[in-house]
Amino acid sequence: MNFGSLALGLGFLLILIGFWGLLTQKNLIKIVIGFSVVDTGVHIIMVGIGYLQGRTAPILDAALMQRTAAAGNQAGASADVGSLIVDPVPQALVLTAIVIGLGITALLLAYVVRLHEQRQSLDISSYEDLKW
Amino acid sequence: MIKKIFAFLLLIALAGVFLVVLQNYETPEELNLTAAYYAEHGAEEVGAANLVSAIVVTYRGLDTLGEVTILFLTASILSFFLKQREERGKRSVRASSELLRTASAVLVPFIFLLGAYVFINGHLSPGGGFQGGAIIASGLVLLLLTDPLRKVSSRLLARVESASGFIYVGLGIAGIFLAGGFLDSRVLPAGTFGTLLSAGLLPILYILIGLKVGTELSGLLTRFQEVQVPDGGDSPDLKKGENV
Amino acid sequence: MVDQLFFNPIYIIGIGLAAAFFLGFFHRGTLAPRIIMVAVTAAFTIISLAWMQAFLLQGQTAEHGQAAAQVFTAGFQPPFSINLRMGAEEAFLTLLINISGLLGGIYLLDTLKKMGSHAVSVFIILIMGMNGIIMTRDIFNLFVFMEIVSIAVAGLIVLQKETNSLAAGFKYMIAAGIISVFLLLGIILAYAVGGSLNIDFLTAADLPGAKAGMIALFFLVIALLLELKPFPANGWALDVYDAAPAGVSAILAAAGSAAAYYALVKILPLGSSSHYTLVAAAGAVTFLGSNLLGLKQHRGRRLLGYSSVGQVGLLLIILGFSEVLGAQRDYIAAGIILSHSLAKAILFWLAGMLKQDGLEAWAALRKKPILLILFGSAVFALVGFPPFPSFFAKWELILLLNGGRFYLWSAVILGASFLEAVYLFRWFGYALKMDNEKLAEPEAPLFRLLPPIVFGILLYGAGWYMGSILEGFANFSYIPLAFILFLALIDRLPAWIKNTVSIAGVTFYIIDLYPRLEGDLLRLIFAGIFLIGAVLTLLSGYYYKGRRAGFYPLALTMFAGLAVLIEAANLLEFFYGWELMTIGSYFLLIRGKKSMPHGYSYMLFSVGGSFAMLFGFSLAAAGAGSIAMSALTGVTVLPMLAYSLMLVGFLTKTASVGLHIWLPGAHGEAVADIHFMASAILLKAGVFGLITVLLGMGAEASYTGPILFVLGWIGALSALLGNISASFQESAKRLLAWSSIGQLGYIVFGLATMSHLGWLIAISYSVTHFLYKGILFLVIGGIALKLGTPYMYKMGGLIKRMPFSFLAVLIAIITLSGVPPLVGFAAKWITYNLIISEGIYYQGFIVLISGIVAFLYLFRMIYTMFLGQLKDNLRTVREINIWFLIPVYLLLAAIMVLSFFPNMLLRPVGEMLSGYFPDGAIAWTGTLGTTRLGYYDGGAIMYVIGGIFVAALLFFFSLRKRTQQVKQFNIFYSGEAPSRPELSHFSYNFFAHYQKAIGVLTLPLVTNFWNWLSGILHGTADFFRRIYTGNGQTYAYHLVLYIVVVFFLQRGGM
Repeated sequence: MNFGSLALGLGFLLILIGFWGLLTQKNLIKIVIGFSVVDTGVHIIMVGIGYLQGRTAPILDAALMQRTAAAGNQAGASADVGSLIVDPVPQALVLTAIVIGLGITALLLAYVVRLHEQRQSLDISSYEDLKW
Repeated sequence: MIKKIFAFLLLIALAGVFLVVLQNYETPEELNLTAAYYAEHGAEEVGAANLVSAIVVTYRGLDTLGEVTILFLTASILSFFLKQREERGKRSVRASSELLRTASAVLVPFIFLLGAYVFINGHLSPGGGFQGGAIIASGLVLLLLTDPLRKVSSRLLARVESASGFIYVGLGIAGIFLAGGFLDSRVLPAGTFGTLLSAGLLPILYILIGLKVGTELSGLLTRFQEVQVPDGGDSPDLKKGENV
Repeated sequence: MVDQLFFNPIYIIGIGLAAAFFLGFFHRGTLAPRIIMVAVTAAFTIISLAWMQAFLLQGQTAEHGQAAAQVFTAGFQPPFSINLRMGAEEAFLTLLINISGLLGGIYLLDTLKKMGSHAVSVFIILIMGMNGIIMTRDIFNLFVFMEIVSIAVAGLIVLQKETNSLAAGFKYMIAAGIISVFLLLGIILAYAVGGSLNIDFLTAADLPGAKAGMIALFFLVIALLLELKPFPANGWALDVYDAAPAGVSAILAAAGSAAAYYALVKILPLGSSSHYTLVAAAGAVTFLGSNLLGLKQHRGRRLLGYSSVGQVGLLLIILGFSEVLGAQRDYIAAGIILSHSLAKAILFWLAGMLKQDGLEAWAALRKKPILLILFGSAVFALVGFPPFPSFFAKWELILLLNGGRFYLWSAVILGASFLEAVYLFRWFGYALKMDNEKLAEPEAPLFRLLPPIVFGILLYGAGWYMGSILEGFANFSYIPLAFILFLALIDRLPAWIKNTVSIAGVTFYIIDLYPRLEGDLLRLIFAGIFLIGAVLTLLSGYYYKGRRAGFYPLALTMFAGLAVLIEAANLLEFFYGWELMTIGSYFLLIRGKKSMPHGYSYMLFSVGGSFAMLFGFSLAAAGAGSIAMSALTGVTVLPMLAYSLMLVGFLTKTASVGLHIWLPGAHGEAVADIHFMASAILLKAGVFGLITVLLGMGAEASYTGPILFVLGWIGALSALLGNISASFQESAKRLLAWSSIGQLGYIVFGLATMSHLGWLIAISYSVTHFLYKGILFLVIGGIALKLGTPYMYKMGGLIKRMPFSFLAVLIAIITLSGVPPLVGFAAKWITYNLIISEGIYYQGFIVLISGIVAFLYLFRMIYTMFLGQLKDNLRTVREINIWFLIPVYLLLAAIMVLSFFPNMLLRPVGEMLSGYFPDGAIAWTGTLGTTRLGYYDGGAIMYVIGGIFVAALLFFFSLRKRTQQVKQFNIFYSGEAPSRPELSHFSYNFFAHYQKAIGVLTLPLVTNFWNWLSGILHGTADFFRRIYTGNGQTYAYHLVLYIVVVFFLQRGGM
């Protein structure tokens, strides 16, 4: 079993679950939660795509240096760092994506607070005045 | 009910889309061009042991500036969006438990310390400005849980936040003149690889990011904390559109 | 070269963020944050401007000359770090965004003051983010900037804290969140397949080559597409436009759409042709769907939302056809973006000044004329009229699409544009004519007034610039338009000064034009009708005491358009002139008191007609490979369709049957001199167009048979219908209006025969109709103005009070009805010749019948107005204004000359026509013309008839002793009890007996048809717009459904 593919599958499943919440729940807060779940699914997919089977974190610390040396010994020459670590780029990207998701969630919740203040209702169908 | 059935059908179809993706996705065996470049040259060019940090702060520094901006945006929006016009009377809050109070008194300083440690060492070990900032904010959550009526000086938070953001951008612009471009961390010498004072500007930027993220997240929290929900879900004393 | 030290594009991001963060130190209430905002956005603008200017100075060599500047960040080369690009496109779009930001910020000054420094930061970051979207070359960075923009937008929506704004913001956030999910999926998959996030490197990576790459592209493209609000997954966007503060909506429509558009422009080259097709299809559905649904919308802001979404759909079509449009794509897109952005911003800004949002409430704009001018400019720019950029863009677009044989697409584009025109002009009509007494004056302090005014000026400037760089329009002379601008600037002066200036201008133009037309009789004749007509109408304009605000620029716009028609060197200039004339005439016609619905239907028929014409022209150009006027000769691409469409286009202006319903009302409500312009002059533009097209078409090709057959019947039926309907009118002005339809019917009929005599009739009718209709309109109009009513039963016996008018009308009527001796008879005589020699008896019979009918109603008119009893209340009325009589008698003199010497007109015209139709010419000896069937001598007939007339006069004079004077009230009602006052007048319902017999012919079948069509469209719109339930969840459902449906459709096509 490849953990990368597993992460992908899991991520897609989370997206679907999140969408279920987003599309069927009437409560505004639950809709926001649904959105967060979808977002998390996407983040897992991003990390999963950067994953390479059997490799370690992209931090060039002492532990990694030891592994480099060990791998080098086995292969008879000094091994390249690049063959031991996972892709660092998606990890960097996911960091950004998480923060953005956080910002959106915070703003959505602020909207919920204000909307609730207007009509004392958390039901999304209470806010349909604008239409057509 | 109909709505749920439709939603279900739609999600089945969406699952079909995702299945197509899974079928056609091939897991890579090797690092691609970009990642391989970072693995090979990241240490020497940027001087950070943590490659993710090198990418976050330097190579893709513009993204990071962008995400800091997003947090700033959110905090700014919330500050005028959730602002209360006047103190609307005291909220009555149940006193928090002895356990919580004691724990927070003991833990919060250490949480703050950990946060600072994480962002100061961001270029060497797992973690960085965002993680550190988030840890600091979590300390604040604990404080607020203990005493929901605690006054947090939003002005101080805003000052720290603005100052760190302003300096961050300023250092970035300095990169145009002193090094290879906007947000180039080689304004300062690379130093010794693997030590605290290495990787040029990177640790400093990460500290600024940490401060900024920490204050912004705290700011967000205090904004929500200040929101006063009227007692009882549907009290009629609030008229529509009356707020601010 | 641009100095990178001062104008480095990265400063936009650096300065923007530094300023935004710095503002955190401030607290509410101070002025400093807003000063900083204006300074920062001004700095952005200057940076863009520096680049734009550099690219413009390098001129058209931008592709092979100076390459776009690359800005690297972090000191590393792409793809390993993020880079920005500043090329010509980026410079243009960032300039647009930054100017919108600068002015939009100024517009929002007081709102931002209330909300404090944080809101100012949000605003600065919004503008900075849009710049980032344009400049970045990295897909993930693109995502970051897009999120910055959407969060900033979500923040600015709530500057106005109402439930609707909050709900709209929430829906917007949910939609933006869903879109960003799929965008992220696309980005990460593209990275996995292509190994890079840099757009240029991904292009090289050949994503479409791999299946996973195709999927990645699908997610990327669909997400960016959804950002552009494709119909029907765009309910959330409409809500935002509707509920956000007007200043914010303005920026969204002006700058936001441009930024989102460019994001897609950058991503599409990664994909394959199937992605372009997808974008084009989505655009077509959007453009059509959203404009259709706009029909039912009755609130201004939301309607602007529909229109914005529609315009973006048009952009998507353009983008999707990149390959077909080639190097012209960016020109076309720039034209549409400029018109759309500037006009939409203006409209939203205006919306923000109004208290109420119903379409009718826009009549309040009339209280500040400058606002009304801006509104009008924006509306015409959106529909694609000259002199605005969209005119040229639409022209090039349709030309290239039809050149590439994409007929259906261009039909969809024109159809959707027409729907847009339908609601925009209805709305504009409300603003012009609706009662506005109860409406509050628009709130327009200087800082709110400035932005739309600047954008208005830019709109005109951009139109001029777009024209000047377009091949085929570069040589266009703007002098007449400059003259009109001058007139607009001196609009505050009294009417007589402006009148004198106008007459001087037109006269000067005629003197200048004449040498250029010498030898080209056809053009000379029409130039005479248009321009001498202009002088005569302007002469009558001296009657007006006061300012007559706005009249002169618009009248002169119409005449300038007509002059351009004459002088046009190619189809584009011709079309430009045509549209210019339409604008001017629309405003003239809608000046009447009750003319709102009529001006509106005039405009719709005009727009429909000009779109048909545009389509026809583009087919002609596609075959000929050039847009020279000669392209109209021997069209090779779909010739039957091309010619039919062009003819239909011109028939809308001749008000031929089926396309005539606008005329009676529009002309019937117009003031005297405007009536003259509209009927005697304007209708001839249609004739001129018909002649131009028919000369190119000829009668040889097989497809001409059916076209000419239909055209002939249209002419004959117009003659019949026009004249019969004229008989049943009570209003003298409407009577004349219907009569014009009939007269133009003769002309169309004559042209359709494609024979020497037929054309002789058409051209001589064109001239004589101009003469006698000119007289009638001025006199009758003058009388109606004097008496305050156009109803004939309220007149009577005016011969005693207005003898000069009577004489003029008498002569005009004799000419019109085609009885000897005046020149009208010459035309009739040729008609008989024509009918017999061509053997077209059925149509000919109808034409002759209508001639008789014409006599009936003319008789009635002169009788009921001038003869009979003088009404009590008219006993002191005096002759009509001398300024009406002067041109009338000039025209009268022309009639008399032509009646004595018909050969003066007919002979040279005949000689000219022999060049086209050699057979069946009239042989002339002196004033004697001979055809196969007989001869005609205008001079001799004049003498004979004159002799008979004198004899009869003498006879009646000898009987005068036996006359018995009848007292005024010596009337019997014959048992009929008059229940209404007008029934007591004998001329009311004068032809009741005929109406009983043949009134069935005048049932408003055509009107009913058009009403039925409009009803169907509105019904469809009302049905489909119910998909916008207002529920945020439904909108989320639409978005996901859109993605899934498109995904499976695409894979089906793969």
